[in-house]
Amino acid sequence: MSTHIPRVDFGRRVLVLRRRRIAVRLQWRSVVVCAVLAVVVAGTAVLALMTGSYSLSPGQVLSALTGRETGIVHDIVVEWRLPRVAAALVFGAALGVSGAIFQSLLRNPLADPGIIGFSQGSHTGALIVILVINGTYVQLVSGALLGGMATAVAVYVLAYRRGVQGFRLIVVGIGVSAMLTSLNTWLILKADLDQAMSAAAWGAGSLNGVSWDQVVIGGACIAVLLLPAGMLSRPMRQMELGDDAAASQGVRVSPARLGLVLVGVALAATVTAASGPIAFISLVAPQIGRRLARTAGITLAPAAFVGALLCLASDYLAQHVAPTPLPVGIITVMLGGGYLGYLLFTEARRRL
Amino acid sequence: MTTLALRQDGPGTEPVPGPRRRLLGLVVALVVLVVLLVLSVMIGSTAISPSVVWDALFHSSAGIDQFAIRDFRLPRTIVGLVVGVALGLSGALIQALTRNPLADPGILGVHAGASFAVTVAVGLLGIHDARGYMWFAFAGALIVTLLVLALGSTRQGSSPVVMVLAGVCIGSVLGGAREALQLTDPDAFDAMRYWNAGSIVGRPLEVMWPILPFFAVALILAFAVSGPLNALALGDELAVAQGVRLVRTRVLAVIALTLLAGGATAIAGPIGFVGLMVPHVARWIVGPHQRWIFVYSILLAPSLLLASDVLGRIVMRPVEIPVGVVTAFVGAPALVALARRKRASGL
Amino acid sequence: MSNSPLMRRGAALAAALMSASLVLTACGGDGGDTGDKAAKTRSVKAENGTIEVPVAPRRIVTIGNTSLPFIDLGGKPVGVTEVSDSDIDVLPEEQKSVYKAAEIVGSSGGEVDLEKLAGLKPDLILVQFHSNDWDKVGKRLETIAPTVFWGLDTEWKAFADAIAAAGNVTNALSRQKAEFKEKVAKIQKTYRKIIDDTSFVDVSRGDSSDPGTFYIADIGCSEIARDDVGLDLPEAAEGKDPLAYEALPFEQIGELSKYDVITYPVNAEGQPTEPFVPVVKTNTWKALPAVSSGRALGVFCPGNNSYGPVLRYLDSLDRALATLPAKK
Repeated sequence: MSTHIPRVDFGRRVLVLRRRRIAVRLQWRSVVVCAVLAVVVAGTAVLALMTGSYSLSPGQVLSALTGRETGIVHDIVVEWRLPRVAAALVFGAALGVSGAIFQSLLRNPLADPGIIGFSQGSHTGALIVILVINGTYVQLVSGALLGGMATAVAVYVLAYRRGVQGFRLIVVGIGVSAMLTSLNTWLILKADLDQAMSAAAWGAGSLNGVSWDQVVIGGACIAVLLLPAGMLSRPMRQMELGDDAAASQGVRVSPARLGLVLVGVALAATVTAASGPIAFISLVAPQIGRRLARTAGITLAPAAFVGALLCLASDYLAQHVAPTPLPVGIITVMLGGGYLGYLLFTEARRRL
Repeated sequence: MTTLALRQDGPGTEPVPGPRRRLLGLVVALVVLVVLLVLSVMIGSTAISPSVVWDALFHSSAGIDQFAIRDFRLPRTIVGLVVGVALGLSGALIQALTRNPLADPGILGVHAGASFAVTVAVGLLGIHDARGYMWFAFAGALIVTLLVLALGSTRQGSSPVVMVLAGVCIGSVLGGAREALQLTDPDAFDAMRYWNAGSIVGRPLEVMWPILPFFAVALILAFAVSGPLNALALGDELAVAQGVRLVRTRVLAVIALTLLAGGATAIAGPIGFVGLMVPHVARWIVGPHQRWIFVYSILLAPSLLLASDVLGRIVMRPVEIPVGVVTAFVGAPALVALARRKRASGL
Repeated sequence: MSNSPLMRRGAALAAALMSASLVLTACGGDGGDTGDKAAKTRSVKAENGTIEVPVAPRRIVTIGNTSLPFIDLGGKPVGVTEVSDSDIDVLPEEQKSVYKAAEIVGSSGGEVDLEKLAGLKPDLILVQFHSNDWDKVGKRLETIAPTVFWGLDTEWKAFADAIAAAGNVTNALSRQKAEFKEKVAKIQKTYRKIIDDTSFVDVSRGDSSDPGTFYIADIGCSEIARDDVGLDLPEAAEGKDPLAYEALPFEQIGELSKYDVITYPVNAEGQPTEPFVPVVKTNTWKALPAVSSGRALGVFCPGNNSYGPVLRYLDSLDRALATLPAKK
């Protein structure tokens, strides 16, 4: 700790002296990166709209988008492909932001909402609805949210001991997740094969069959959640320097941390409700965003753009490049593995 | 279970218990193990009287109940003993190696490799016999761990943190591929949901014997490196200063723990927490002495496994809960309690 | 989003153009035949309401559990979702080739490739899968073609009736039904005494059940033996999960000694099925009174969701009961 304080002071002094120039430089790079990402995202979206196993010419897609097609062509482009693309964008962005919050909060590049048991908990909730009470889709979504939230709260409470510490949160999360994973295995074991497969497909995270209703409702929730996320982003950056340093700058650490956890979990929850848990985007997006924008800490906007791009590209791979169409979550899991491999070859090797 | 926390612990700060306490503890641990072995033969989903059990074990009388004891309970107890020893020792090895008290053999991709190989065996090669895919599981665990080891080696040698990262990385790629296979093949899915639970039931002894030589080799290796591992706990520099050959020690330790954890997973499927919890308890009793920790882990781990298995037989009679599910439910609260302890929470 | 005024206007324009062209074609004179045929529909009732289906559907896609029963009735689907290898293996050759000839439109029910399905231009879609999957893709299936949906808990005879009605293969169905009645009556007549005073139990192991476990089968084929033939077989209590959902550890094999006759699964050649071999090999099994006195019968059950496999099951049961030594 003692070695940190002079560095922080030094940094602040530099920031004060050349405040405008540094601020402008940082922002400029971020803006350019975000703009480039937006263009790439748009290109991928167009590609995704053009591709599908029902062959359509670009002209047909275009005329369907402008409302000059009816029947099945209209349905395929406007009612099937478009909401799927929109969902990938919106949900990917939400996952990116959610991951950014957790990584910043825990000061750990390997943190994501799964760390506090959210994914496992929502899977358990969904399994109980599907396998035990044989409920409807609405019940499935509520079950998943309830399970995820309850687990997150339980982990938070169990890790609370005169405040919540990053490391303790991680370990408690691992323990609770392992227990729930085991429970999930048991539930799947007890179920009929058809039901178990259905539950497993949900658990993998899939954008198959996403409708406008889900995109609009999910998108609205996400938009509402992004407001507090933006407001908390400044205290979040300050807390990265350590609780004491943040407190000395006037940040009320405990409420800010609780607020951030809530927003982060709620963002992940919204996505889970619509598409099942899509793994690893929340882990990878903030890190790629940080590297692209070359910011010192985790920033939300690049994470959101990278998240959207990752989700969209993964869904494209899952649908059109894989030998059979797969849930998007399977591609993102492998993507996450690849990212960790990258981390291995660059950072870890250099550091050790 | 995979532990993401990349924490490195320094040498233990607890007071070192004296040799009397260690020996006394050893006797107690031995007695506990014997009691659990007896319980495991006595208690099951059907009620069989102790006299019949006695008869079945020491006389060659033929009767349905006697056969049930000899065919099922006895082999299952022996499998539990062997798997438990392997899990406990492999847990002790990885915790010593990574200097991470929360490390678990699953970390090096043992479970991921084994379950991917089994999925391929079922889904692509159409092997449906559990005995058939045991060797796939073993080979998968070995290959993936060696891959992790290769990836995790830097020019200066292999570092624990890099190895853990490599394990998580390969684990998630294989996990995704496995899930893709499973979701497109109902047969593979059906087989895997049973295999994934982790159980010591219905593993005939003749299937397990060929794994034992590997365990024997691993056991010898483990005790051979226990001294250097002690030095390693003080940090790489100090260990080198004491004449420890870092690379050799690590490679031997990884080979030993892979054989142990891979073999255990091949026999029983993934069973978590035993390898995590037991070395902890051992360290708590004997202090930071690897050889003692190993001995205690060898005695305590089968006790935990058999106790969990017996529990799984009686809570939902006549249906049994696979031992892997029980160990998670016993182990997770213990891990949470551990994390809440003051000493473990510093960072 | 699709309801923006611009789009609606465009759609209206397109619709107007299309109806105009239709009118023109109709005036052309030779399009009458096809137009006529498409117009002829009948209604069938299913879980998703009353559906208008073509009188003689030609391009049928079967999703989930409808594929094999429809093929069993002589149907030839143009598209199917994947069926597990173990189920395909026991099909008669001609049904196997019908299945292989169909386009695969998805791995399981909920993961249907809708665009590929639409590309097949079906005129009828038959679906049986989990209701969650229906909630996910049902609406979209309905926009492709008339879709008939049944839930997973549909009883097999009602299911066969409904599939035959929807898919227009009722002739084959009545033949199968008559044969079923005849076979059941024959078994009941031949083995009256055995049926009346013998207690049976049917045991099995899943294709990949956890090693060391078996279960008492009370659903599937043994349900037919109990409810149609009238064998005295154990049944789960009202409102409880079927006994077959309970994986019993091998040491419970001893409990089977209270039954007079045990039936167990064999393959078409009469050998114990691969998953069941471990049970047959145990000493406990060999020591069971029913087994040692030759009253453990291997029965072949190729399926229980349509009449074809059930008929083959009844034949096998008939042959097995014939070997039963007279009771002392």
